[in-house]
Amino acid sequence: MSFASMLSGLTKKKVRFVVVGGVAAAAHGSSRVTNDLDICYDAEAVANIGALASLLAGWHAYPRGVEKGLPFIMDDRTLRNAPILTLTTSEGDIDVMDRIAGVGPYDAVRQHSERISALGVRFRVLDLPSLIKAKRAAGRPRDFDHLPELEALLALRKNQ
Amino acid sequence: MTARQTAVAANANLKWIVNSAALLGRRVRYDRQQAKWWGLVWLVTEELGLSLRAAAAVATVALRGGSSSTQVTAGADPSGSASLIVDLARYESFFLANLSRALVHETPRRRGRPPRRGIKGDALATARHYGVDLDLIRSAIRRTPAERLALLETNAAFVRDMRRRTA
Repeated sequence: MSFASMLSGLTKKKVRFVVVGGVAAAAHGSSRVTNDLDICYDAEAVANIGALASLLAGWHAYPRGVEKGLPFIMDDRTLRNAPILTLTTSEGDIDVMDRIAGVGPYDAVRQHSERISALGVRFRVLDLPSLIKAKRAAGRPRDFDHLPELEALLALRKNQ
Repeated sequence: MTARQTAVAANANLKWIVNSAALLGRRVRYDRQQAKWWGLVWLVTEELGLSLRAAAAVATVALRGGSSSTQVTAGADPSGSASLIVDLARYESFFLANLSRALVHETPRRRGRPPRRGIKGDALATARHYGVDLDLIRSAIRRTPAERLALLETNAAFVRDMRRRTA
C-alpha cells in the first residue's frame, strides 16, 4: 500500500494520467501529508478507460466511505458514468477524475503539467499555478486552507 | 447528509429535486435512501424521457426489493410487448460511486466569499498570517521532487500506521 505501487501500476499499464491534488502539491514542495492519490485520466481514449478500469478492478477498488459488501461493478462503464470516483483499493486510496475544476479535461490538464521522476517512476504532475487554480475552483474549506501555503510556494519559487 | 450531498449522491440537480418533490407532493428528505430513489427518477426522466410521475412509479417498483435482486421489470404494457427493465446491480454501482463522492468530496461549504486576511498581493505575508512555516517551505524547495515525494511516502505510511493502531 503506497503511492509508489499505485504510480508504478498505472505506468506499467500505460494509463494516460496526470497526478493532481495533494501528491502534486507535495511534489512542488508542500509539507501537507496526504493519504490518497488524485489523478486526472484521459477519458476520450476508450483503450485508456479500459486499461484504468481493469487495473482498478485488479486492485479490488471499492467506493470510499461506504460500508463494505454492497454490489459494486468496477468496469469501464462505471468509470465512464462517474466523473469523479473516490476509491479505496488494495494499493491505497485513489481518486480518479476525468476533468479538473478550474483547469479542464485531461488535454488541458496535460498541457499544464510537468514530467517528474520520483518513487522509481516517471509521470506527469499538474504545475503549481494550475494546482492553485484548481484548489480555488474546488471551493471546499480544506482547499481554501491549502491556498496560502501553495501561493507562498509559488512566490518563493519566482523569487529564486 | 446535507442537501448538496443528497443531490450529488443522486447525480441530480438540487433545484430539480426540490421542484419535482413539490410536483409529486412529496416531502424532501436528505438521506441516502431518498438520494437513491431520486437518482433513479432523474435517470429515467432525463435519459429515457418518461414523465416525472411515471419515473417516480418506476423507481418505487424497482427499488422495492432492496439490493437482493439484480434486474427488475418496473413496467410493462398489458400485452407484454414492451417493458422497462432496471439493471439494479449496475444502478447500485453507479449510485455507490456517486454516494462515495458525496461523502468524501462534498464537505459542507462556507457561506459567502472565502476569508482572505493578510496583506493583499503579498503571498508570503499572508502565508505567515495563516501560520505557514516559510522556513519549512524554503527547505522543501531546496529538495528535488523525488526527495519531496519520498518524504511524503514515509510520512503517509506513518500516518496510516498510527490510524491503524488507534482504530
